[in-house]
Amino acid sequence: MSPATPPKASFLTALTDLPKNVWKSIFRNPLPSNDLERSSTSFTNFFLHIHPVKVHKNSLRPAYTLGLGLISFFLFVILIVTGILLMFYYVPSTTQAYDRMLDLRGSVAFGTLLRNMHRWGAHGMVAVVFMHLCRVFFTGSYKKPREFNWVVGVILFLLTLFMSFTGYLLPWDQLAFWAITVGTAIAGYAPVIGKDIQFLLMGGTSVGQEALLRFYVLHVAVLPAVLTLAIAIHFWRIRKDGGLSRAEDADPVVSLEAAPADKASVLEPKKLYGFQGLVRGPLPKVGQIPDNTVFSWPNLFLAELFTFVVTLSAILVLSLLFNAPLEEPVNALHPPNPAKAPWYFLGLQEMVSYSAFWGGIGVPGIFVLLLLGTPYMDRSTKGVGKWFSRDRLLANTIFITFVVANIIFVIIGTFFRGANWAFVTPW
Amino acid sequence: MRFALAIGTFLILVVHGIVFYNQFGHPWERNQNTYFDQAKVLAKTDAEKAALAARKPRIEQIVVSNFGETRVDRCTTCHIATDDPRFSSHAEPVKTHPYSPTMGDFQKDGKWERRHKFSEFGCTVCHDGQGRGLDAEYSHGKDEYWPDPLLGFVTQDNWRKDHAPKLKGKDYMQANCAQCHTDTAFPGTAMVTRGRQIFFASNCYGCHRIEGLSDGTIGPDLSDVGRKWKLDYLWGRITDPKSILATSIMPKFNLKEEDVKALVVFLKSRKGRNFAETEIQRFKVKLTGGAELVQATIKPVKINPAEMVKQGEKLVLDRACTACHKLGDRDGGIAPDLSFEGSLRDSEWVYAHFKNPKSTMSDSIMPAFRFTDDEFKAMTAYLMTLRGQATPASGEAIYKNLCLRCHGEKGDGHGPIAEHLDPYPRDLTKAGFMNSKSEARLVNSVRNGVNGTSMPAWGKAVSEEQAKAVLGYIQTTFTKEPRRELKAKVIPETNPVAASPESVTRGEALFVNRCAGCHGRKGDGKGPNSLDIQPKPRNLRNSFFVNSVDDKRLFESIQYGVQGTAMPPWIDYGLTNNDVGDLVNFIRSINPKSKGGQHAAAIQ
Repeated sequence: MSPATPPKASFLTALTDLPKNVWKSIFRNPLPSNDLERSSTSFTNFFLHIHPVKVHKNSLRPAYTLGLGLISFFLFVILIVTGILLMFYYVPSTTQAYDRMLDLRGSVAFGTLLRNMHRWGAHGMVAVVFMHLCRVFFTGSYKKPREFNWVVGVILFLLTLFMSFTGYLLPWDQLAFWAITVGTAIAGYAPVIGKDIQFLLMGGTSVGQEALLRFYVLHVAVLPAVLTLAIAIHFWRIRKDGGLSRAEDADPVVSLEAAPADKASVLEPKKLYGFQGLVRGPLPKVGQIPDNTVFSWPNLFLAELFTFVVTLSAILVLSLLFNAPLEEPVNALHPPNPAKAPWYFLGLQEMVSYSAFWGGIGVPGIFVLLLLGTPYMDRSTKGVGKWFSRDRLLANTIFITFVVANIIFVIIGTFFRGANWAFVTPW
Repeated sequence: MRFALAIGTFLILVVHGIVFYNQFGHPWERNQNTYFDQAKVLAKTDAEKAALAARKPRIEQIVVSNFGETRVDRCTTCHIATDDPRFSSHAEPVKTHPYSPTMGDFQKDGKWERRHKFSEFGCTVCHDGQGRGLDAEYSHGKDEYWPDPLLGFVTQDNWRKDHAPKLKGKDYMQANCAQCHTDTAFPGTAMVTRGRQIFFASNCYGCHRIEGLSDGTIGPDLSDVGRKWKLDYLWGRITDPKSILATSIMPKFNLKEEDVKALVVFLKSRKGRNFAETEIQRFKVKLTGGAELVQATIKPVKINPAEMVKQGEKLVLDRACTACHKLGDRDGGIAPDLSFEGSLRDSEWVYAHFKNPKSTMSDSIMPAFRFTDDEFKAMTAYLMTLRGQATPASGEAIYKNLCLRCHGEKGDGHGPIAEHLDPYPRDLTKAGFMNSKSEARLVNSVRNGVNGTSMPAWGKAVSEEQAKAVLGYIQTTFTKEPRRELKAKVIPETNPVAASPESVTRGEALFVNRCAGCHGRKGDGKGPNSLDIQPKPRNLRNSFFVNSVDDKRLFESIQYGVQGTAMPPWIDYGLTNNDVGDLVNFIRSINPKSKGGQHAAAIQ
């Protein structure tokens, strides 16, 4: 009798235990019921291991982060999913693109919803990423050691704008065509290389088949790849730079001698922890300082799930209530009057109407350079982790001025400009 | 937190529920089910019933590739009973498409057969609308962004409220019939035929080009106007041109509503290229220019010599001359007053002007209309009978009656029709000009006119005293400076340099050097500096003008300049009389003396 032959009973057991075993092989940990399992869940799960096992309470304060970074990320995820689904129906051809839009609206199952979600998600992402940038600035979170992550963030913001801009052309209707014509014309105002950039973007001297193909490739392949990489770096550096920024006084200073009587989490000496389970800092402090951290499971994950649910339901409701615009098919001989760029570039267009170079290139160029250079110019370490800290009055004032000016220009450009870019009142 | 999470999740579920409900409870599916149910009741055999029972709702579509770009028509998804004769009295959308002998449908063995089968033609070829959609609103083209709403059935929300009701009716569909049925007298496209007649009868062709029909250049090319614009725009542009474009110079034709409708249908049928044309046909039309089409479309009036004047009057009044010109109460506000034409011009001039307006006035914008020779003669005869009313005595009254239309209320040359005249009327407020010319010369300009310009010879209507009276009025009211004694000028009576090829060559070199900046290298008055100059530099190729002035006057204008204009006194810039003589010879050489000047050849 060969020992390799399993007994019948054990085979049956294997069969009956199959679901359980498969489940266990995938999810190695049971639903956590103690701290060991909580940390183990965090770092053994592929999707969760990017999180710290424990997270500072300050990072969980909704009033501090407003969840803007996460919302941006979730919008990006929604955009990728809906975008891939839309790719199945889209052809980047001047003769077919518009018909495909009609099909999406008319006869493709869930086509309208997909397009709406993608459209409003994209607009939302531009807005939320910008708000996230403002949040980080107003809380002084770009300061050492987070300087470079701020730079990555600014690049992410520019990429988001470019991503949305390239997608704007794809429906190939009048709105798209003329917005891109205006948008690329603004790029053409750059000194020396402006015309070359414009030519490179459009693959010709006017928006046509080549431009559509280029914008498509940029939109569905190049930019998402770059954006994904930059997001990965952004997240990785959050961990490496010590989590989200917080005020210096978020952790009360205590002497090492005075061991607190009760602790937020109990470190049982006999249990084993990975380093992920330990808060940052010199080892002798461990277990000695008042612990202001909580386990990511369930605190952080639940908050993230909540943010995701809110984001998704907002986009869904918007998509149900408002349809993405689809105007006339492209007619290169009949520009709408006025021809307007996408709303987030209307501030630029408004400024361009005063001065082509300064409005389109000069002022925004200086703004971007200032943004990129901010953490290297503002070396003071004061005022981190607090909204509108008094220590940062000057920096915040300058920043607010730029932001408000831009918002005012966007509003004027959107609502107060009529035919021939003349001033009109919207009522 | 957990409670909020639950609410959010619930919201997502609700939205999904709504989306799925909309997706699977699509109106077209309900339509199709209704149709299947009713058809089952009407079915006579069991096999028929079984076949119906086996049918499930699905998207029906017709792909049409025979007519222009490939069309995908999914209209029959909702209009599923279009070819089922039993549903002729049902309500839309489950209704039979009507059969009609005028559409070529015929009966065979007691059953209707279609001439235009849906499987071959689809729906949007005739009806317009958006074939790809499955939603009534979008498919019928009700959203304002769709360029082709159902022709004659759907008006869009942003159309003018007073026009919209007039833009409904089956008649409009004839515009699409004419894409294939291009015969000018096709019985099914009576509106297009009528519209074409009006296009010619109202002289639209004089200004507008339609490939193969006309070649006017003043207005926009209408060859593909039907593809570019919707009914609402066409109607508005015809009935009130300025309401859509404030700078439009198109006259307001007072057409009857029925005629406007016919014109709109005709224009809507102009889509650049229709399905029936071949490359060769288009090329042939290009070669002939289509001139014979006018006469083919509107029958020429047979002129009876005894009733010539009467017939001429009828032609002038019927063929929209007063859409531009003034005649009695009718005033188009674009071209000169014809009320005195008999006193101002002779019949030869008027006839030549009719045949080719530029043959009597180099820069006239009046199009050459395609009347027959006899018709032109009749119209000339009629115009010769127009002598207006007796000219009043006072200078002011004369100015208001005769001069104001061009020279303007303020005498500054900006009269109501001034912008359509070339050369522009003289600015009478410029004392520099007015006071540097002798009274005799001004009287001469009034009584004998200025050749090659819109200033006619008023001699038969205005006596010498009356001319002086009106000049006196102008002097006190507009010029406002008293006349001064004219300075003596040293001017040779005749050109001291004999006309020779060498002299012309020298003159040309001098002209290019000194004059071309304003008068242009061609001498046509359109030099690079001319844009900023008012009054515009003289067109020295206007032979009627150049040949009507003598050498002495050319010498005076060049050597002493023209006060009140940009022309400087060239004597100050070192031009000798010999130089000017060369210049004059050059200017004369580009204006042949033969009658009609450079345009003589063009007439023949």
